[in-house]
Amino acid sequence: MKPRQVVALLALVGVFVALYLTLYKVGIVGTLSCSIGSCETVNTSRYAIFLGLPVAAWGLLTYVLLLVLALIGSREALDGSGAISWALLGLSGWSVLFSGWLTYLELFRIHAICIWCVTSATLMLLIFVASFVDWRRHMRRERTAPTDADRSKWPVASR
Amino acid sequence: MGKRRVDGGRGRRADVVKSKRPVKAARSNGNKRFYLVLAGVAVVGIGLVGWSIARPRPAFQVTDVKATPAQSQGYLYGNPNAPVHIIEFGDFECPACGEFANVTEPDIRKRIVDAGLANLTFIDFPLIEVHRNTVPASEAAACAADQGKFWQMHDRLFSGQLEWNGEATSNPKKVFQRYAKELGLDTEKWEQCFDSQQHLTRIMGNRAEAERRHVDQTPTFFIGTKMIPGPIPYDEFRAYVDQAAAQVAMQSAARADSQKKAGAKP
Repeated sequence: MKPRQVVALLALVGVFVALYLTLYKVGIVGTLSCSIGSCETVNTSRYAIFLGLPVAAWGLLTYVLLLVLALIGSREALDGSGAISWALLGLSGWSVLFSGWLTYLELFRIHAICIWCVTSATLMLLIFVASFVDWRRHMRRERTAPTDADRSKWPVASR
Repeated sequence: MGKRRVDGGRGRRADVVKSKRPVKAARSNGNKRFYLVLAGVAVVGIGLVGWSIARPRPAFQVTDVKATPAQSQGYLYGNPNAPVHIIEFGDFECPACGEFANVTEPDIRKRIVDAGLANLTFIDFPLIEVHRNTVPASEAAACAADQGKFWQMHDRLFSGQLEWNGEATSNPKKVFQRYAKELGLDTEKWEQCFDSQQHLTRIMGNRAEAERRHVDQTPTFFIGTKMIPGPIPYDEFRAYVDQAAAQVAMQSAARADSQKKAGAKP
């Protein structure tokens, strides 16, 4: 499986995790299934809202974006697209930092852990790793691909 | 598919490489497998999220309760025969109602209601679309009313709104139970009332009454014949009460006058 396909799969799982938490936050899902930790304490804390939107909704948006990017990038025509590699790396890198900050809040400010948030943070880390592998492949390809300058060194056979 | 011999280039031995077709086929197989796994994850995810939405909620399914304004019954504070009647349509989970109850209402009760100028009736207008714990809060208050402590529970609910509202918990009963204990209620009786949702029809009847009067925000007040939406400061509130009292005084003077005239006629 290609790294972008791995990103797409992980992002799809993330979409459902974030969707579940968002539905809880807006009151469509009554209670959270939370066998480990205390999800409600975390999801009802004041840190569960960021820039006027539930943090879970931001997560949902990010996962959807990652999924779309990875699916588009998995198409053969865009296989070597550097823009997709950079976008995946940038978005997942930023999201890893954001989930790291959220995990810090859970541990040291809210003093509670939400298993769904930990799952999401782990997914994001894995997505970042896969995006990094994809980006490195792209960079390697760029380095080894002959440039126009290289090509001009070789005489072209004339008929 | 067949293998073909190709020239590996100058200085290299001719080698056997696979033809391009099997590579393409393998890639397409890989893609097929990827889309199958993706579809599998999507089906499982949709199923799990759908199940969590459809799963029965632990308490207070209010959507099925049909109530009419006739089933409405508010909670009175003060002298039932006071000249001015004030009605508040409030939602226990609404922050503006909380602020009004904590900041302005004590003054209104003391300086207007206790002074005999008016009485005050609270009618629930639970905004169930946005506040998931408002109906349980109304039920907690109604069950306290059964034991003669509606207003004490009303005040306690509003002062502790942040610890039981929908943002704080999806199981507010634990907090309400503590309040019931603090207020010295018979907690067993209160819990029985709360769990059986004994007053749900009354609460939804109150909501129907609010809708009948075209109340569209909480708190909304009716002071005499005037409808005043939104929380207002004490002075403004007092001015409305004085206006209503003057209107009542005028009406009763006119009534007395006409009675006098009727009595004077032979």
